[in-house]
Amino acid sequence: MSMCGKAAILSAGIGLSGCLERDSGNKTKDLTAGKLGGTFIEGASGADAETLNWILAADATSLGYISLAFDGLIAYDNKFNIVNRWLKNDIKTSDDGLSYTVTIRDDLEWSDGKPVTSDDFVYTMKNLMFADWMAYTYAGDWTEEVDGKSVFVEPVVENETTFTIKRKTVDPEFLYTVTDLMIYPKHIVSKYEGDVKAFTQAPELNNLSYTGNLGPYRYKEWIRNDKIVMERNPDYYLGKENGEPYFENYEVKIFGTSTARHAAMEAGDITNTGIDPEQVMKFKAIPSIKVFTVPTTGYRVLQYNMRDNGWEGLKDRKVRQAISMSISKEKIIQDILLGFGEPAFSFIPNVSPWYSEEGLSKIGVGALYDKTRAKELMKEAGYGIEKNGAIQVIDKKGDKIKLKFFTITGSKVHESMAYLIQKELGDIGIEVDIKFVPWETMLRKYYMNKVPGSDQPARNNNGPRAVSEEPWDLMYAGQSTDVLQPSGTEIFFVTDGGLNTSGYSNPEVDALFKKVHSKEALDVTARKKIYAQLSKIISEDQPLDFLAYPTANIAFKSNIRGIDPGISMNYNYQEWYFG
Amino acid sequence: MDRSYLAKRLLHALIIAWGVMTASFFLMRIGPHSPADKYLATLGAGHNVSQVTAAIESRYGVDRPLYEQYFNYINSLLHGDWGWSFSTSMPVSDLIKIHWAYSFQLIFLSSILAIILGISLGIFTAARKNTKADHIATFFSFAGISIPNFWLGMMLILIFSVKLGWFKTYYDTGLPMFSLSNLYALILPVITLATGMVAGYGRFVRSSMLENMNKDFVRTARAKGLPESVVLRKHVFRNALLPVVTIIMLDMSGIIFGGAYITEFIFGIPGLGWMSLKAVFSDDYSVVMAVTLIGAFVTLFFNLVADIAYTYLDPRIRYE
Amino acid sequence: MKLAAYYLERLKGNKTAIIGLAFIIFLVLTALIGPFFTVSPTQVNFSEKNLPPIGFSSEQSEYSAKVGGLVMTNMHGTWKHPLGTDGMGRDLLSQLISGARVSLLVGLLATGLAIVIGAIIGVSSAYFGGIADSILMRFTDIMITFPFLLLLILIVYMFGSSLALIILSIGLTGWTGTARLVRSETLSLRTRDFVIASKALGASDLRIIFYHLLPNTISSIIVLATLSIPGAILAEAALSFIGLGDPQVASWGNILNAGQNDLQAAWWIAVEPGIMLFFTVISFNFLGEGLRDAFDPKGDYN
Repeated sequence: MSMCGKAAILSAGIGLSGCLERDSGNKTKDLTAGKLGGTFIEGASGADAETLNWILAADATSLGYISLAFDGLIAYDNKFNIVNRWLKNDIKTSDDGLSYTVTIRDDLEWSDGKPVTSDDFVYTMKNLMFADWMAYTYAGDWTEEVDGKSVFVEPVVENETTFTIKRKTVDPEFLYTVTDLMIYPKHIVSKYEGDVKAFTQAPELNNLSYTGNLGPYRYKEWIRNDKIVMERNPDYYLGKENGEPYFENYEVKIFGTSTARHAAMEAGDITNTGIDPEQVMKFKAIPSIKVFTVPTTGYRVLQYNMRDNGWEGLKDRKVRQAISMSISKEKIIQDILLGFGEPAFSFIPNVSPWYSEEGLSKIGVGALYDKTRAKELMKEAGYGIEKNGAIQVIDKKGDKIKLKFFTITGSKVHESMAYLIQKELGDIGIEVDIKFVPWETMLRKYYMNKVPGSDQPARNNNGPRAVSEEPWDLMYAGQSTDVLQPSGTEIFFVTDGGLNTSGYSNPEVDALFKKVHSKEALDVTARKKIYAQLSKIISEDQPLDFLAYPTANIAFKSNIRGIDPGISMNYNYQEWYFG
Repeated sequence: MDRSYLAKRLLHALIIAWGVMTASFFLMRIGPHSPADKYLATLGAGHNVSQVTAAIESRYGVDRPLYEQYFNYINSLLHGDWGWSFSTSMPVSDLIKIHWAYSFQLIFLSSILAIILGISLGIFTAARKNTKADHIATFFSFAGISIPNFWLGMMLILIFSVKLGWFKTYYDTGLPMFSLSNLYALILPVITLATGMVAGYGRFVRSSMLENMNKDFVRTARAKGLPESVVLRKHVFRNALLPVVTIIMLDMSGIIFGGAYITEFIFGIPGLGWMSLKAVFSDDYSVVMAVTLIGAFVTLFFNLVADIAYTYLDPRIRYE
Repeated sequence: MKLAAYYLERLKGNKTAIIGLAFIIFLVLTALIGPFFTVSPTQVNFSEKNLPPIGFSSEQSEYSAKVGGLVMTNMHGTWKHPLGTDGMGRDLLSQLISGARVSLLVGLLATGLAIVIGAIIGVSSAYFGGIADSILMRFTDIMITFPFLLLLILIVYMFGSSLALIILSIGLTGWTGTARLVRSETLSLRTRDFVIASKALGASDLRIIFYHLLPNTISSIIVLATLSIPGAILAEAALSFIGLGDPQVASWGNILNAGQNDLQAAWWIAVEPGIMLFFTVISFNFLGEGLRDAFDPKGDYN
């Protein structure tokens, strides 16, 4: 999760989507006239993808590569409108909210010319995603609680191009899970069924040689940790009318340092890449480059350890509010993000259709960034005494409060945040001891927890009595949220949430999240109200301090045409071309 | 060269290779990491972590008892199977086939350059012993040995790529391997790798030459009235060559797994060093094992070649 | 004592060795007393980000609340931060001084450890001979054959980047040269009269090893140790450079690692620690060569 936040900033993003917006203007009748040609090179940093065999992928980069050859059922535009891709009609949710009917286009083909059918979808779900031998990482998204037992939903073939997914319980947000559905060709994959080793090593699955006309590009070459090259798919199902995609090749090039990546962009060797805030001015001044500033789905948080091995004061809401109130979100945005960010107050970013200002406690900006008030709150909570007219913040024994702060190593933003927070808390008399640890250490020693003395296998949330191997008080992390389905974030906030590493528990929050997944929330206005209520409670309760939503700066060669800048700007990337 | 000696050396090399393999195999598996790690962070509610870990470990065959994995590994090695790389989703042997050439071209060019320049430098300084030129050259040799190559590479990028714009800041794999543009692209990496080698070889050749200069046969040659250049070339250098060849051979594996590693890292060259570094960071055991083993074999090979060269170049040496 | 004075006298004649020694002494002193005169290397000041060193100026983007966006400012070096600051406004001079401590600590401790292990293995191998020799030397061969840097990276990645572990692993992997050297020196000493005599007088193995064999190899060991220190320092720097350094300390390698991403905006971050590394390494090399010449009874080849 921390990695996701980072990835969201760094990668200019091959969209996890990519679709033709049918009604957009400026269309020419002569197919590819003047548009065809060139190689689009995206400059990326960080780790390369691990696999193109999508069901095995655990990293966003892998899914990004796959999406170049593989559109998916739908895409979202910058305003989060659904744009159908493989879908023929919109997904139909039954009135009782228990069944989802999906109808796909009838012109989708595998590479061997066999049609893509609803049977392929149902097979992929039942025999691969839900199968024990596969151990699909996200299989849990396809389960529901029935009579205290966790069972899989039931996909059924209706006809050649239509299938229905049936549930026994209502969950309005299940729709977003359905729209993410991916697929394998039954006639190819069935020979590997049950043999995870053979499946993992199957060449057709690892080099995407089955993707037919399902995406704008086809696999061509992949030099690990260097670049992946995809070539134009002339059979692309959306290209029949206008001949898209227009680039001969689509390439993702990985750079080891941001110096190399920025220099390559400056020299015109690559077509687009994410730009560090420090470099934005410089790039904006270059005529052959244009820079777009767009929102992202990532957000930065300061976690408070409310478990038994954290400082006891953190269990008190007033203390959490006091700490959050001493950290200026404006300072973070100006000093660290150089203005490229928005203050965050809740798990729902302001770009989300579910965002609501109503009742939101805007702690950390304006009147609620107040160190005097913070000290008063500390005193009210029993952690301060009046001395010479000022409040001195101390713990219950009368000593200075010392908090252990952790974040991952190797990132300038993370380090800067640590020092800024240390300074801010120093002002109210709390000493912060900073430790940088590698990601794996963070995971094993600080995230995963278990009840001391028990033989539980360690996991991210083993209940309210569990504690991590090493004690911690504060932790800074980047997380990313699903803008469309904010309830996905419940794993951080509900008492038994799988990633509730901080040990937060508020029955009201638990109940509200349950409500999001109930019949009551089928109505969109009702759901929005529930979300508003959740935002309000969580922003008051401060189980963690939401610091900022960073915005990303993405540079493009200025001769690129067809871009619609925004949060998911590559939803129409197959329509882009060099002018 | 005696055949039984060769056989003995080969057996010796095999034992060492086995030792390296075994040591690295167990070293990698006693660590706290698991290939399932990367999945764990993303697991949400409703997941049974230990179940998923077990499933993923079984997917990659690391759930078996350690000794069983060990014997399986040896068994597949003997069948020419280097295993499956789960961080790149391809057989390790394919991975090596794609990436070895990037390392090879860098190491080959650097070595050639270093041997030519290093030997010339050594002869030049030895012939001008204690002159100003010698002192300057000696100073630069020291500088060449002492300069950290990762810093040198970065400085070359800073000056020639970032400031002057003569080169790209990264290595472009799109260039055809046998082309002038590829050669041009390799200039900075080769300088980075070769600088230390040139300086080291230069120092070594110099001292090796000087050692021979006072030998009787050289004095005799001089006394016979041979011109100094002939003495240097025919008598001094030829005799100094032997230790030089040895040191170059012995140095080779150090270069490959020290300097080249870092050079690939700085310039983003997707060679074996870069691959294995990435593999370490993704807990991809089989790739790390393969690169370690290849490294060991290369070292052993050059040691053997150095030995053979020794006997070949110096007829006085005979092994039983 | 007389002998030491004699060697020192010989060393004095070697200009480069003296320069090397002088720089090392300077470095040690700076590392020891420097922190009392400079600000804390972790003291962050976001309004003084990427300040160039004295005498340089550099264009930097800054957020201006007045403009509500980025503005370009021409920054000049200040005496407050004579060597400039990094991307978080931390003083580079104090970071470099902290780095000197780290490097010297690594150089001395890791080399010390390697020398002790190497000497014990080398001397026992030579003294006991036979099976012990074969086993110890095969073990040494395996260690030598192991790709050194890969082994280091593996150990540090596996068990965490702490300075103690880094020192330990450099020491535990770096002893092979010493072992071979001590072994070959001991082999020639073993047959010398004084060793045979004390053996005949019933001296214990340990006594012979520690009183007769090791002291006679000491000059070679000193030379080797001096020449190994740069290797240890560079190994730590290389580890840090690829991101495996101890994140809790400001080591030269850590600064370089951060600096390589800032080459365009702030070149000095990558330049300065490299210069320090270079001078430190070359000083130890000068000193080591000087010591070798001083100890070498055959005179010098220079």
